[in-house]
Amino acid sequence: MEPLLASSPVTPANHSRKGDSVLCASNEASERLKLSGDLESPEISSVDQCSEYVSLQLRIFRINLAITAFAVLASILFVDINAAISLLLGACSGIIYFRLLAKSIGSIGKSSSSVGKVQLIIPAALVLVVAKVPELHLLPALVGFLLYKPSLIIQFLLEPSAQKKSA
Amino acid sequence: MDSITTAASVIAAGLAVGLGAIGPGIGQGSAAQGAVEGIARQPEAEGKIRGTLLLSFAFMESLTIYGLVVALVLLFANPFAG
Repeated sequence: MEPLLASSPVTPANHSRKGDSVLCASNEASERLKLSGDLESPEISSVDQCSEYVSLQLRIFRINLAITAFAVLASILFVDINAAISLLLGACSGIIYFRLLAKSIGSIGKSSSSVGKVQLIIPAALVLVVAKVPELHLLPALVGFLLYKPSLIIQFLLEPSAQKKSA
Repeated sequence: MDSITTAASVIAAGLAVGLGAIGPGIGQGSAAQGAVEGIARQPEAEGKIRGTLLLSFAFMESLTIYGLVVALVLLFANPFAG
């Protein structure tokens, strides 16, 4: 005899999610919120956790865009346009790489038990493209690719202050 | 590029990728194991655990990328090629 619950418990079957943001789409979250009137239900808590992960990705993405814009402008002003293009190409590759990594981490424990290696194609393709095109430079492209690391560090440093504000 | 430089570059590229992937591979495996265990024990902390895992994986995988980049530079843009 099953106990009567106000809302269904969180089980792996309830979470038919495969990725991160695709599965935690905002319309799905709002539909769940509309359907369930109990604010303390585990489903809403799970949706909150999922949206927290997506919002973390969005914050890192915004910081990454700001750092990329600053670096590209600085390289246009102080170096040359080819270095700026290489930097921009590397930064775009870094953003795609980070997106794929986040998607892979979002599927851990749901559809896969390990982190995928698909995202490692991105730096390999970047180096190959830069080596084949003579107008592009290798060093600015690699620096641009690694621009996601300062954004991670900034996000990591800003995180305690954000938690204090929310508390 | 003479044959000795070519052979040394190919061997160095293989070693750079292979040896560079050992440490991050072990670290990522143990980190993923800990994260999955943590999510299973505390499903309410899933978002924070995944966020921390994302940050740590991004830093760990960059070590693999360093080795990969060195290998690709040795293979396709070798500075020692005459």
